[in-house]
Amino acid sequence: MSVLKKPDLTDPKLRAKLAKGMGHNYYGEPAWPNDLLYIFPVVILGTLACVIGLSVLAPSPIGEKADPFATPLEILPEWYFFPTFNLLRVIPNKLLGVLSMAAVPVGLITVPFIESVNKFQNPFRRPVAMTVFVFSVVFAIWLGIGATMPINKALTLGLF
Amino acid sequence: FPVFAQQAYENPREATGRIVCANCHLAQKPVEIEVPQAVLPDTVFEAVVEVPYDLSLQQVTGNGTKGPLNVGAVVILPEGFTLAPKDRISSELKEKTKGLIITPYNEANPNILVVGPVPGKDHQKLVFPVLSPNPAENKNVHFIKYPVYVGANRGRGQVNPTGEKSNNTVYTSPIDGQIVKLEKSDNVTSFSIKSKTGDIITVKVPFGPDILVKEGQTLVADQQLTNDPNVGGFGQVETEIVLQSPARVKGLIAFFFTVILAQILLVLKKKQFEKVQLAEMNF
Repeated sequence: MSVLKKPDLTDPKLRAKLAKGMGHNYYGEPAWPNDLLYIFPVVILGTLACVIGLSVLAPSPIGEKADPFATPLEILPEWYFFPTFNLLRVIPNKLLGVLSMAAVPVGLITVPFIESVNKFQNPFRRPVAMTVFVFSVVFAIWLGIGATMPINKALTLGLF
Repeated sequence: FPVFAQQAYENPREATGRIVCANCHLAQKPVEIEVPQAVLPDTVFEAVVEVPYDLSLQQVTGNGTKGPLNVGAVVILPEGFTLAPKDRISSELKEKTKGLIITPYNEANPNILVVGPVPGKDHQKLVFPVLSPNPAENKNVHFIKYPVYVGANRGRGQVNPTGEKSNNTVYTSPIDGQIVKLEKSDNVTSFSIKSKTGDIITVKVPFGPDILVKEGQTLVADQQLTNDPNVGGFGQVETEIVLQSPARVKGLIAFFFTVILAQILLVLKKKQFEKVQLAEMNF
């Protein structure tokens, strides 16, 4: 990045924008043409090469034909359903299990309404939200790994 | 024995995905498969099935004495893949497959290979020489990713194809009652169990499992008469293999080179233009 534009601090409009935490696109490397015309195509070509390379070297497999009269030995949903699938199979009461699955999107819907209780954006100034988030991520990954194991290891993962 | 499956089943893989060996080999033990990620058409490659087990283990043999374990395996390759003919196998691969008599499962399925039983102490790794098909000759084969299903076993089965228990499994009492007589003949132990209603039921246990009960002992239903002598087990795994077209790989390499060239030229053009920008102080 040898071409760098300096911010014109004599411009009152720019100073006003900077004071509000905006206007950072008025200085630095110019977007046109340095970034948009030259570096964007480099990245686009690189992405294209990665995708084409993978599709040639590791094509997606054609699965087996579905047979409604034959239950496969291992039944597993798509990977992103592993945690809720595990909840459903370890909770003995199926109504509670279905409710626990429904609780996930319901809980996510409430987030926009209750997250503004704390006005800070910095994660380190949102201890409650961060604790809840980190706990749910670890819990979901844990249950997701458990879903691929036999039912007696579904919660312990065979570790203890 | 693979021959039991060959006699009873047209296809060793049931619609549920279960390999039929599991109908007689009831215990479950891990196995592993190793195949190349991709193979070119009309090439010989090796599929390695690993059957790990503790070599110090001894199993009950057919006449009730103890002996070493045997192993066996079935590899269900995609349609078109076959056992490599002898003249195409390299001497190095011949050395690895020495002592293994690998045969196609039946005439209708040359893509399913079976081997065994072979002594497990020399063959914890079973190497299958496989010939990949050529889509130019076989119209049913395409350059795509295929699944490979593998089942492998160590030790004898627990059930015979007739449905009777073998001497490598646990025997239990069918009823509540008392053992009135325990008799040993040439190779069976007969238990005469008297039920509460007075009927006498005879349970014949072939030699092999150790007997845990005594004459005169009272039993509850499903109580073990013998221990479980089985140390082996069957496992199945699946993997994937890509039948790769050489033309596609060449094209891909050529495409990668043009992409890298285009990227380098774009960066050089940018550097050149930056000089113009700096010289004219116009940015």
